[in-house]
Amino acid sequence: MKVFKKGRLEKILDKLSESAEVYVPMMRGAQSGFFDYKTYNPDFDELVLEALNVLRPPKEVVFPQTEKMYSFKQEGQDVIIDKVYEDENPRIIFGIRACDLKAIEYLDEVFLTCGYEDAFYKKRRENTVFIANACYTPGKNCFCESMGVNPVEPELADIVLREYSDEGYVWEVKTEKGENITRLISDLLEDKEVQLPELKKFVIKVDYDGVAEKLKGLFEHPMWDRLSEPCQTCGICTYICPTCHCFDIQVKAWGDEGYRFRCWDSCMYREYTQMAGGHNPRETAKERFRNRFLHKLEFFYERYGKPLCTGCGRCVFVCPSGVSIVKIIEEIKGA
Amino acid sequence: MHKCNCENPLVPEIVEVIDIIDETPDVKTFKVSKIGGGVPFDVMPGQLAMVSLVPVGEGMFSVSWQEDNDHLQFAIKRVGLMTDELHRIEVGQKLGVRGPYGNGFPVEACKGKNMLFIGGGIGLAPLRSFIKYCFKHREDYGKITIIYGSRSYADLCFKDELFDKWPKEKETEVYVTIDKPEEGWDGHVGFVPSYLEELNISPENTIAVTCGPPVMIKFVLEVLEKMGYTDDQVITTLEMRMKCGIGKCGRCNIGSEYICLDGPVFTLAQLKQLPPEW
Ligand SMILES: Cc1cc2nc3c(=O)[nH]c(=O)nc-3n(C[C@H](O)[C@H](O)[C@H](O)COP(=O)(O)OP(=O)(O)OC[C@H]3O[C@@H](n4cnc5c(N)ncnc54)[C@H](O)[C@@H]3O)c2cc1C
Ligand code: SF4
Ligand code: SF4
Ligand code: FES
Repeated sequence: MKVFKKGRLEKILDKLSESAEVYVPMMRGAQSGFFDYKTYNPDFDELVLEALNVLRPPKEVVFPQTEKMYSFKQEGQDVIIDKVYEDENPRIIFGIRACDLKAIEYLDEVFLTCGYEDAFYKKRRENTVFIANACYTPGKNCFCESMGVNPVEPELADIVLREYSDEGYVWEVKTEKGENITRLISDLLEDKEVQLPELKKFVIKVDYDGVAEKLKGLFEHPMWDRLSEPCQTCGICTYICPTCHCFDIQVKAWGDEGYRFRCWDSCMYREYTQMAGGHNPRETAKERFRNRFLHKLEFFYERYGKPLCTGCGRCVFVCPSGVSIVKIIEEIKGA
Repeated sequence: MHKCNCENPLVPEIVEVIDIIDETPDVKTFKVSKIGGGVPFDVMPGQLAMVSLVPVGEGMFSVSWQEDNDHLQFAIKRVGLMTDELHRIEVGQKLGVRGPYGNGFPVEACKGKNMLFIGGGIGLAPLRSFIKYCFKHREDYGKITIIYGSRSYADLCFKDELFDKWPKEKETEVYVTIDKPEEGWDGHVGFVPSYLEELNISPENTIAVTCGPPVMIKFVLEVLEKMGYTDDQVITTLEMRMKCGIGKCGRCNIGSEYICLDGPVFTLAQLKQLPPEW
């Protein structure tokens, strides 16, 4: 087995950063997320490879919160699109967990299938390498196993890291992309036979089986009034969700030039579906709340054959009103 | 002229406005063609395109007609930021367009049928593409009935076609109504659904196609049901807020369908399978 000692982590990151943007889990002030290692400042930041789920999922590496699409110039009546910002920079997500990688698989479904390929996403995605970190001790909000994720065998990974003890990590190459990356740092790895830990039990379990089918008949069920009652439609659950993919397209212009960009949006906001003439198909908080959960648990399943939730537990943790998708699944089961 | 990456479905192609027609005080028809002529892409009746006044905004519009390989037409109502500015542009202005989006009307499946078109306000824009398609392929369709209404005479779109051209087509009847009586109007007065009920068009071998404000559509559907139309004989085209047009941005969903991709055209039978969120 190839392994590396924890003391070598920064050397590996330094080396990888020479040829790619390397996104690593860090605590940065009150924020935790995947930040470019080039911006790592040991006085303020802390590398937290061991953290299970940092607050901001790494989806923004392939699908940024705001992303320039194209710039334009206007001269009189003429308009020129002068640059399309398809971003092909090489990137590495270092330490991504199985649930967040599963989320990338779902984003691939959205952006790369069903008739159109989203070129902005595709270019970023193709040039991103995933170095996953296997989980052996699920956290108190984690329920990925219930949502069909295997936390020790992250799918889509090019390389899998396995923390075998306080000493270090196993470096397991999965793909050709992974081979190429490994070549860059092979002198920092060593050969060693180690014993891998056992996956510990999940604290949270939920039974999703049959939920999508059952929901077909529950659109008008009174439980949505009760369940949505605490929701303040703040939208934070959608922003920190690794699978939420809704976006808005907006323009920034000054004088005769500018650019069009897209940015994350949230189905929790009234404006999201507000139409000309005042009509809004999801006017009330209840309708928007119901749509969010039905999208995750029923509609996405109908379209792509999987739920749009990987059980990362972030929304359960951040919701200021205690809304929990786990409880909602249980309510649906019991309805 | 423009460096558009046609592989990228979210980047528009630049086109030129070659003609602008005032339809009503707040609706204009814009004719656009590629720079140097020709259509930027072919559309089927009922399909959509995203039009942008590039520095201002983008909006989804039905293509109200494709004139051969010459130009596309959009009938655009002034309702907000971008459409206000659009109403101020002049011939020669360059716009962005991307498309075509959506499924369009089932023009093949309707062959051999009598066609009943029921429109309200700007809702005639998408119907017009199908109506004109029927006239262009007149022998493929049976009797054509058009029922259309707006708030006032001034608010009726496509007046020369409504009052002059369409009534002269073979086996075609055009019924126009306005909401309230007004001086100089000796036609029908009242809302579209009640006019439809009055006219009581037989469902025999007929397909009804309707588009208009959501309230109008709801009442029209009730009336059609009363008149004996089955859910498979009724087609409507829906409008939801849209941004991407390609089933990615998420906002136009009704249940698991994306209206930009799987719609905007649905039969009532299909619509009844969906949650009532439109
Ligand atoms: C499938 C479809 C077909 C349409 N066909 C036509 C047509 O043939 N003719 C026509 O005049 N209009 C049509 N529309 C409506 C048109 O897209 C909006 O009126 C236009 O985008 C508003 O742009 P704005 O910048 O002027 O408005 P804004 O200033 O952005 O907003 C004004 C109002 O319009 C709403 N709005 C903004 N964007 C949209 C949007 N994409 N869809 C619906 N409401 C929106 C806003 O919430 C607000 O209430 C269609 C819409 C859809 C979804
Ligand atoms: S975080 Fe909680 S309160 Fe905020 S929108 Fe989501 S469910 Fe509602
Ligand atoms: S819905 Fe909640 S638990 Fe599921 S993937 Fe999104 S943030 Fe994680
Ligand atoms: S407009 Fe983006 S999904 Fe339909």
